[in-house]
Amino acid sequence: MPKPLVDFGNKPMILHQIEALKAAGVSEVVLAINQQQPELMLNFVKEYEKKLEIKITFSQETEPLGTAGPLALARDKLLDESGQPFFVLNSDVICEYPLLEMIEFHKTNCAEASIMVTKVDDPSKYGVVVTEEATSRVESFVEKPNHFVGNKINAGIYLLNPSVLERIELRRTSIEKEIFPKIASEKKLYAMVLPGFWMDIGQPKDYITGQRMYLNSLREKSSQELVTGDDNIIGNVVVDESAAIGEGCLIGPDVVIGPGCVIDSGVRLFGCTVMRGVRIKEHACISNSIVGWDSTVGKWARVVNVTVLGNDVHVADAEVYNSGAVIEEQGL
Amino acid sequence: KRSYDNQGFKMKALILVGGFGTRLRPLTLSFPKPLVDFANKPMILHQIEALKAVGVDEVVLAINYQPEVMLNFLKDFEAKLEIKITCSQETEPLGTAGPLALARDKLVDGSGEPFFVLNSDVISEYPLKEMLEFHKTHGGEASIMVTKVDEPSKYGVVVMEESTGRVEKFVEKPKLYVGNKINAGIYLLNPSVLDKIELRPTSIEKETFPKIAAAQGLYAMVLPGFWMDIGQPRDYITGLRLYLDSLRKKSPAKLTSGSHIVGNVLVDETAKIGEGCLIGPDVAIGPGCIVESGVRLSRCTVMRGVRIKKHACISSSIIGWHSTVGQWARIENMTILGEDVHVSDEIYSNGGVVLPHKEIKTNILKPEIVM
Repeated sequence: MPKPLVDFGNKPMILHQIEALKAAGVSEVVLAINQQQPELMLNFVKEYEKKLEIKITFSQETEPLGTAGPLALARDKLLDESGQPFFVLNSDVICEYPLLEMIEFHKTNCAEASIMVTKVDDPSKYGVVVTEEATSRVESFVEKPNHFVGNKINAGIYLLNPSVLERIELRRTSIEKEIFPKIASEKKLYAMVLPGFWMDIGQPKDYITGQRMYLNSLREKSSQELVTGDDNIIGNVVVDESAAIGEGCLIGPDVVIGPGCVIDSGVRLFGCTVMRGVRIKEHACISNSIVGWDSTVGKWARVVNVTVLGNDVHVADAEVYNSGAVIEEQGL
Repeated sequence: KRSYDNQGFKMKALILVGGFGTRLRPLTLSFPKPLVDFANKPMILHQIEALKAVGVDEVVLAINYQPEVMLNFLKDFEAKLEIKITCSQETEPLGTAGPLALARDKLVDGSGEPFFVLNSDVISEYPLKEMLEFHKTHGGEASIMVTKVDEPSKYGVVVMEESTGRVEKFVEKPKLYVGNKINAGIYLLNPSVLDKIELRPTSIEKETFPKIAAAQGLYAMVLPGFWMDIGQPRDYITGLRLYLDSLRKKSPAKLTSGSHIVGNVLVDETAKIGEGCLIGPDVAIGPGCIVESGVRLSRCTVMRGVRIKKHACISSSIIGWHSTVGQWARIENMTILGEDVHVSDEIYSNGGVVLPHKEIKTNILKPEIVM
């Protein structure tokens, strides 16, 4: 399963972003990819082009182009004489996508490039953006700093004028190391602090934390998507309408249950994701873990501590998985 | 040779209880070891009942700590079984033979009858009637039970003449292979043996028996059925399996059956088991226990008054008296909960050894002692 199609909150990850772009007025999304896309991806694109009435195309690298090169490669698709700025998103990022606010910000500041930044506790792992407080203009752009320079990091969401494309050569280029610092030095790069949550959900632990933040955000913005009024459910829980939950379960907080899942009676779930078609048998206990499509978890089994069960994995009755491993085949 | 049916012949027995039972802590922090339950009965009661059945009317417990705690419990058994139970307290360590000398006056009553000596940690079928027959037949001074083991080098090996059972020699923890029958800790001794034991620290295996064997007076009988020294948790759990297996053969009516039962399971009649449980194999559930619905138990002992909440899963462990195990908790791999331990919902214990009166609110990920 290609990563952008992995479900998050019962929706393919990339769909969260495409829907946000559509809502901000985007009419065409270009997916910058680096390998031949499998049928799954092509089918997804066909389905959602129609549903969302948005054009989705691919731009495929044949050699590695870094984080800026792909923009040059897709140049013809991104420019259209209108002179409008274009968005650039990273597919692993989840947040509230306040893109209309970002457009306002970009225009107000007459920026050539705007980036979203988010506050983090440990900035040293990321690219830190140092801004002038009063104007939000970016002063410098420091990748993985050794000492403290600030705690706002690049959130991976950009709004760029077409002129930015003139700065990018069609070769392997880093947008954070080469392009942005140049624009910043010309005092044309501005940073907007991202309201709400932000998470890079590329790692299982962050996926689970991100899910909690996302459900929290749903609670505030569209709580009708969460399950309420059920004694089996506590906290923020999303259950697809085609899933079935047995008696005497205790589900939540922070659980997402996908389509066609069957949760037998007496099951405890919290802080976990149960993907499409999963069967969890009686009395099992799953926490802080991800159960992949079509897997089954046996009676009295225990899957905890950031364990990831892949596609079609079968956990036997009373088995324990608690070491945070990724289990790809049954009987590991 | 007269037929021995023990009518009118009253016999005595000595049970070597020894010390504090440190290897069975935390269970022995709440009760002296002989009173720790095994298969829903205090360990020592298994032995006292077997002795009563063969005609013993007085049992002496050789202990080396304060007898008061024991005697209170024992008064109960004395009345129920109509057998006299006394204590013989060492004030200094006397080894494995010295306690016999200490208890001499209680063991010898002029009748000339032999007396049994048992080790309190041993569990077996106690074929004591057969042992009495064997003893009277060979006419020797002392009989011992031996049992076959896979690894004799850890024990005292008994080398005997196959046809008669006469013991040739007695080799303690042999380095080279001399045989695979070991001392099972069950003896039947003529009163004259007491003349050979001084009241000082003495080893019955190293000093007394070799002397009797040299005089060709020591005979060994191979113990039929199972044998286990249940002085430590791992062997306690294995011992339960052997014991229940034996119960299946001898008194299967005592075991529980039903659609929620797998293999050999012993449930006290006052215990309650909820719906949708799966219990067994090799489980003992004590008086007053409450096992709520959807619980999975295998290879474990649940002592008196324990509550196991819904959906919990317990294997290869011992749950001490009046403890509780929370919903969806997972207890396994030689976890021993002492008396009155409370494990919160969803907690995992991998081999935790938990002292009495503790609350367990965080997972125990690897075997460790929780104080």
